[in-house]
Amino acid sequence: MTKKNKNVKKRVTFSDDTTITTHHTHKKKDLDYDRPPVYIRKTITTVPFHLLALLYYYIKVSNNYDTLRLLLTLIPLQIAYLIFQFNRCTIYGNKRLKINIPLLLITIGGSVLLSVPAMVIIILFGAPFVEHIFQTWLLALHASFLAYPALYSVFNCDFKVGLWKKYFIAIMIGGWISCVVIPLDWDREWQVWPIPVVVGIYLGAFVGYSITAYI
Amino acid sequence: MLKRLIVPLLLQLVGVFVFLSGFFPQKNVLSGDASFTIETKIQENTKPPFDKLVLVVIDALRSDFLYNEVNSGFSFVHSKINSGEGWGYTAYSNPPTVTLPRLKGITTGSTPSFLDAILNVAEDDSSSNIKDQDSWPRQFHNHGFKLRFFGDDTWLKLLPNDIFDKYEGTNSFFVSDFEQVDLNVTRNIPEQLNESKEWDVLILHYLGLDHIGHKGGSNSTFMPAKHREMDGVIERLYNNMKDDTLMIIMGDHGMNDVGNHGGSSAGETSAGLVFLSKKLAGYDRPIAQKNVKVPMTLDDPSTFQYLTSIQQMDLVPTISSLFNVPIPKNSVGVLIPEFIQLLNKKVANIKIMENYKQLLDVAKEIDVQNYLSEFKVSKKIDTSIIINKMKGIQQDLIRNATDYNYDNISVGYGVLLIATIIAIICAIKIMHFGPPFALTMAISILLGLSCFGSSFIEEEHQLWWWIITALVVFGYIHSTIIGNRKFKLYFIVFVCLRLIRGWNNTGQQTTYSYVISNILEAKSSLLWALNIWTVFILCMRGFKKNPTSFISSFTLGMMVLTYKMNWSIVNKESVPEYLHEIVRKYCEIYTGTHNDSVFEDALIPMATLFFQSISSICFIKIMAVMLKMQKSDTLLNDMSKYITLLLIFLSSSSNIPQFLIFEILRYCIIKIVQDQYDSSIYIVSLISLILQNFTFFQFGGTNSIATIDLVNAYHGISENYNIYVIGGLMVMANFAPAIYWTMLAWGILYKSVKSKTDTFVKCKIPYVLFNCIVGCSLLAACIALRYHLFIWSVFSPKLCYYAGWTLFMNVIVGCLLEGFLVSLV
Repeated sequence: MTKKNKNVKKRVTFSDDTTITTHHTHKKKDLDYDRPPVYIRKTITTVPFHLLALLYYYIKVSNNYDTLRLLLTLIPLQIAYLIFQFNRCTIYGNKRLKINIPLLLITIGGSVLLSVPAMVIIILFGAPFVEHIFQTWLLALHASFLAYPALYSVFNCDFKVGLWKKYFIAIMIGGWISCVVIPLDWDREWQVWPIPVVVGIYLGAFVGYSITAYI
Repeated sequence: MLKRLIVPLLLQLVGVFVFLSGFFPQKNVLSGDASFTIETKIQENTKPPFDKLVLVVIDALRSDFLYNEVNSGFSFVHSKINSGEGWGYTAYSNPPTVTLPRLKGITTGSTPSFLDAILNVAEDDSSSNIKDQDSWPRQFHNHGFKLRFFGDDTWLKLLPNDIFDKYEGTNSFFVSDFEQVDLNVTRNIPEQLNESKEWDVLILHYLGLDHIGHKGGSNSTFMPAKHREMDGVIERLYNNMKDDTLMIIMGDHGMNDVGNHGGSSAGETSAGLVFLSKKLAGYDRPIAQKNVKVPMTLDDPSTFQYLTSIQQMDLVPTISSLFNVPIPKNSVGVLIPEFIQLLNKKVANIKIMENYKQLLDVAKEIDVQNYLSEFKVSKKIDTSIIINKMKGIQQDLIRNATDYNYDNISVGYGVLLIATIIAIICAIKIMHFGPPFALTMAISILLGLSCFGSSFIEEEHQLWWWIITALVVFGYIHSTIIGNRKFKLYFIVFVCLRLIRGWNNTGQQTTYSYVISNILEAKSSLLWALNIWTVFILCMRGFKKNPTSFISSFTLGMMVLTYKMNWSIVNKESVPEYLHEIVRKYCEIYTGTHNDSVFEDALIPMATLFFQSISSICFIKIMAVMLKMQKSDTLLNDMSKYITLLLIFLSSSSNIPQFLIFEILRYCIIKIVQDQYDSSIYIVSLISLILQNFTFFQFGGTNSIATIDLVNAYHGISENYNIYVIGGLMVMANFAPAIYWTMLAWGILYKSVKSKTDTFVKCKIPYVLFNCIVGCSLLAACIALRYHLFIWSVFSPKLCYYAGWTLFMNVIVGCLLEGFLVSLV
């Protein structure tokens, strides 16, 4: 009995910082948990304010929730965020890393590829399979480009550091929570697939990039 | 130990049922027959505008079937509406949109009580009839009209049969019968047309269109032909009518796009209503009908509001006035304004005031005298003002259709609160504070809170899905943390769950056309291959340990399969040709005949044989264990196999392959639970609880009366049926997947004989806790929202489902059946 309870307890306590099904393809080996040599500096610089701005644009400014245009704006901003904010706060073996331009480009390709398993996950989580397939793919692309800085760091650390999966999990949790509004019968135009989940993963990513250094 | 389970369980049951008795009281009705009250002499001596009435009720005739450009095949009705001889309306039929309560509304003009919807199922129940209530057929009969009735026998159950001169009932025994049920009505028409001098009112009620809807949805391929058939009937009757005859064509309710009804969606509540008479052409047609040609299209077809929208009850005072009989006492209808011009000038105002006074009587307001004196002085009234006043009263009356019994409600709620407190204390004592307790509480509170939102009740399956996805991912993460990674198992579980989710349309908001059951129905050879595999795999379960039980379950399995195939053939579902031949051979051997009706003839004997075999096998098995002739360790496994076969027997053929997925899922879950959680009792019962609810919805169940599966309640039932047998089969058929997942625990727990009572109580305590907390919250929601718009359409059905879950799933299956079997182990 007690042993069982212990096991279950673990599940709740550590649930936020472990591997997640999305990214098993990228991590062949299990990862160690030591904080050094990689960690994120605890500063306000890591807060991705551009995500809030993008959300404001998406909800208030853009014409009828233009998910595609949002994606096209997201990509350069995420690259800029990685170069000027995220990478500068990443400490690897007691030093800051210089930005690696070829890897930056490879990661863009990596994100696009990542959208395929992300889409599988989204469909497993209950997205419609036949209808709205393009919208689902757009959502998957959003998710993978929100994970872009984390993915770059995964590549940069030769797949060896377990820290980055927290970011993927944060994005997933954001998306999961946002699903609550879908069944409501308010008939608002923002309840159309995949708008609530797009907003959810942006907020999830915002929280994830802001607080992961502290947990 | 057992006490801790039984006390909260019993208290909960008592609380819920006392509450229900207060929440759904029998409605108070005014007794006696109405008579004219104002200017009695003038009214009695006027000649009514019409002297003959032909009422054609077409079951589930939704408004767009009559008026829509794409759907409607009623070309004759269209031509009459366009020429002004027909006045078309969209009649709002108050939920519950089921035939029996709707017929009550159409005849007495009253709003049905929610209880009627339940009693519609138990048609034999005599408490739902209106033999003592005032209704227009009764008034017509009392005033010397001769009535004849042909069609759905619900009318004959509702009304005293002696008011009809001649009648013949048809029943909707086989929902898959589209033709015969209507031909049985139509064949009476020639005779009635010949004898038209001998009747004054002819009522016909056609069921075929409703059957087509239930079977194939509102866009079924059988619809256009049925529309034309009905249109032909109408044309034939109309062309043989005199000028003084009024013909009414109406639906008792509508249907949603899947073809179900009972709820309150726009499609279900929007019934068509057309008045046809040559006389009407001489009067001003309704405003909405001017400058409009039918068939038409709406800007927003999902509203179904074609032409003028009225309440269906408005029909009652309208025909009463048109035929100069008193308005039935309990009617809450308001005279349709356009028909006032047809009334004799002298009585028009009197009729309006009569209607007004009658409404006030229902509303129990007496200050009508004031207004009457005013009316007498002026002799001139402003019709539109009074009609508007009446509409206001009508709205109030519809909203406050029932009086709640607050004593019972508060006592019931109090008892349930006590039960909940006891349940929480017992749960803490037994489960201690720990993750299983926290998880049970979290799920219960989440579901409890969701009861306050009508859309969360309508879409409850989404909540369960939301919980399940989170738990599967957490389970996987947990398995990696404890270093026992099971990616494959979890992936299979997730895929299985996703397949189950995609199987049927559920919930009340959206319908997808690409659901797996639809695809399988179109590809019948794949469906039947899967069905055969399902039964085979199920019989193979536990083959290594106990090969003898394979023989009995395999025999039963074959019986199930042949019966289901035969049933599908009889119901004109598509079945592969080679199976067709096999089943024909089987049926020929079975019945010993070779005629065309061999499939139908074999159906009931086959089902009877199956029921007899399964009960005798279960009986022998239990007796063998009781008399210690056989070891008890295989009892639970064998029983769960037999029960699953029974559940397959009671499921529709496109749902049977879900049991195959269930078997795979069950295998994976047992493996995960044993490896990762060391067969923890609470984990098992939580998984079982979640899957019970999840699969219940994915089988097509919802929290609405509309989706109660009646088709599968009639297996092996002959025409002179027993209502309790049907009731029992109906509950089993509707809870089939939930019963399957209750049995999950049987295969994992109860291995050691020593602590089986402890195990049993520990296994059941999460259910009791869950039901108590959700119950408290749901009952609170019902009390707080008792004047809410959705109380009858959303909250009350949920309350009934909750009672069903508590009584049937939790007490009968979960505790009594399981307790009995466990005591034998």
